Amino acid sequence: MKNAIEIKGLTKIFGELKAVDNVTLSIKEGELFGFLGPNGSGKTTTVKMLTGQIKPTKGNATILGKDILRSPIEIREIVGIMPEQENPPSFLTAEEYLHFVAKIRKLDNIKEKSDYWFEFLDFENQKNVLCKDLSRGTRQKLMFAQTFLHNPKLVFIDEPLINLDPIIQKKVKDYLQNFVKSGRTIFFCTHVLEIAEEICTNIGIIYNGKLIFKGPMKDLKRRGQHLEDFFLKLVKEA
Amino acid sequence: MFEILMSMIKEEWRIHSTIFSGMKFFLFPFVISLFVFLVSLLFSIFSSIITFNQIALLIHYLFVLFGLSVGAFGLLGREIMNRRFEQASMIAYSSRTLPLSEKRILLNFFIKDIIYYFLLWILPVVVGFAIASPIISVNLNYSFILLTTLTLSFLIGLSISFFLSTIYVHSMKLLIGILSLTIISGVFTNRYFHTNVMELLPSITFFFNPSMNLIIASLAIVVILSSFSIFFFKVDYAEKKRMFKNHFNVLSNIFRFNKYSIFIAKDILDMNRSGGGMGKILFSLLFPLIIIWLMLSIFLKLLPTTNTLIMFSIFLGVMSSSIYNWLTEFDLFTAYSFLPIKTSEVIKGKLNTYVLLNIISLIILIVVALVTSILNYLLPSIASFIMVSFYSLAVTVYLTGLHPNILLYDAKILLAYVLLISPVLLALIFLSVLNPFYLLMSPLLMVLSICLIKKSFKKWDDWEQQSF
Ligand SMILES: Nc1ncnc2c1ncn2[C@@H]1O[C@H](COP(=O)(O)OP(=O)(O)O)[C@@H](O)[C@H]1O
Ligand SMILES: [Mg+2]
Repeated sequence: MKNAIEIKGLTKIFGELKAVDNVTLSIKEGELFGFLGPNGSGKTTTVKMLTGQIKPTKGNATILGKDILRSPIEIREIVGIMPEQENPPSFLTAEEYLHFVAKIRKLDNIKEKSDYWFEFLDFENQKNVLCKDLSRGTRQKLMFAQTFLHNPKLVFIDEPLINLDPIIQKKVKDYLQNFVKSGRTIFFCTHVLEIAEEICTNIGIIYNGKLIFKGPMKDLKRRGQHLEDFFLKLVKEA
Repeated sequence: MFEILMSMIKEEWRIHSTIFSGMKFFLFPFVISLFVFLVSLLFSIFSSIITFNQIALLIHYLFVLFGLSVGAFGLLGREIMNRRFEQASMIAYSSRTLPLSEKRILLNFFIKDIIYYFLLWILPVVVGFAIASPIISVNLNYSFILLTTLTLSFLIGLSISFFLSTIYVHSMKLLIGILSLTIISGVFTNRYFHTNVMELLPSITFFFNPSMNLIIASLAIVVILSSFSIFFFKVDYAEKKRMFKNHFNVLSNIFRFNKYSIFIAKDILDMNRSGGGMGKILFSLLFPLIIIWLMLSIFLKLLPTTNTLIMFSIFLGVMSSSIYNWLTEFDLFTAYSFLPIKTSEVIKGKLNTYVLLNIISLIILIVVALVTSILNYLLPSIASFIMVSFYSLAVTVYLTGLHPNILLYDAKILLAYVLLISPVLLALIFLSVLNPFYLLMSPLLMVLSICLIKKSFKKWDDWEQQSF
């Protein structure tokens, strides 16, 4: 398998703070990679660098063979990104928003594609509601749909499941697992360890900007170790 | 009561000082003072052209105008309650059961804005003038009177706008009725009683002839109009969710000849559905323009060489570049940053919408020319309008990107804005005095504007989105 993501010495400094500190990591196609760490450890900052939304202070990375410094827009064209904050996008309705994204991404059969997601995530009745007036959970569904709308080979999702009800959560988890089975890749940021333990094939743990662990989930399971205990132990040592 | 007010003021401070340093925001009033100080030094030149009384009248009406253009709170409805500040929106939500406290929040918001404008604009203007007064040998006492009367003029403008916008939200017909009644009675009194414009506003009369009664009269206007507005303020809070049919596809189809049709469609929907809808155009463009026209037609009679229409077109150009400022109000770039578009593309989208909306201003100009039958200078005024509006737009975009409403309060940026725009305006006015047809050369400014806009695209693409 080829590497979907290759990160070398990625660093981001905000003023005095090293938000991401010399992270080196590669992620193969077909991985459901869980990027774990407590709040403020640098997950979102890493995703923003990897998708060309902010520039690294040092280091570099390639995403599906494209350089993050040279081709940020091309990268955002081919990948899907679910941002951490489900910002209400202005005064469009949910459906209009999906169509807006689809047109930016120059897709065809827009109506079909968006209808599929309204049905799949069970929020057809919210189609015509202004994004601003949607509940947090529904906004999260909308942003989830937006991420996968163009059927990308790689997605970055930042804390995607927090506000979803258990039935949808189950559906989404199955969807993510099937997604990687077909050789596509997911970079999944979360601080919720149970979900990561359940679905991820590989994990990396970031703490205070430093990558303190990376490896396959299988190894942990083989050692009979719970992710939570392992995580707490690592964080204590760090 | 005081707590809500303080939290609103803190919020306003936070919004401005997280983007640039608090220091730069703090310096903003000093830039205003400096500017007014410099302009005041030219007093002797002005006073050789027009009388002291006329200058005073002009300044007071400018503040009425300023109040009018920022006072359309009635349009903000739910926005006041939850857009601008997070804390206050929590307070607002807790008020659903208590309509009384809702009004209190609004009152606080109103007072906060008054304090804000007083400290950032009115006080610095007067201070700038006061510092210049010994040099231009004007009695310092005038500054104290000016502080009172300018504040009152501003408040009168503000409450008139608040009042009219509140009526607008309830009924357009009622608004038209009230406006026509006002205009008719105005024309009537003017014709039969030969009233002087100076006496129309008690705050101005007070400036020439201080008396307690006039202060009471001014305050009465402000208090009556604003309490009426606060009382009838309409919030369509809907716990109910706002629903709309999908208009996005239709609109983006209509504009498909334009490369940025999706953004234009989105901007139009944003504008229509946000607080006040198209009423924003009415209140922040049309009303101020009517006042500008009135002022110009009164003053320029005294200046035979200057043509009213040309001056109006220059003002119109500056005013209409502020349409761009509203267009940036609806969302933050963070709502796009994860999509495959650059900041410059969002800016280009807004510029295209702006060009479309600017047609409204162009129509206003032509209508004014037709109505007043000043047709001989129509072409030069169209040229100067287009140039001024594009040049001020280019400067705005270069200096502030997608955040004009916030970044213009950065002292350094404001200074640059004033320095880039005012010489050009003065040059155009000077040219028009020589011969209005010289303004037909103003398209040369287009070259400069386009260069500036091109540079802005690069500048803002390289600028890293702050988290705010
Ligand atoms: N634009 C910014 N300016 C300054 N500090 C920032 C900025 N963005 C993030 N940070 C800081 O960087 C650290 C990492 O943040 P983040 O990547 O959001 O963490 P996580 O997503 O793991 O919760 C935090 O301490 C955060 O406060
Ligand atoms: Mg995060």
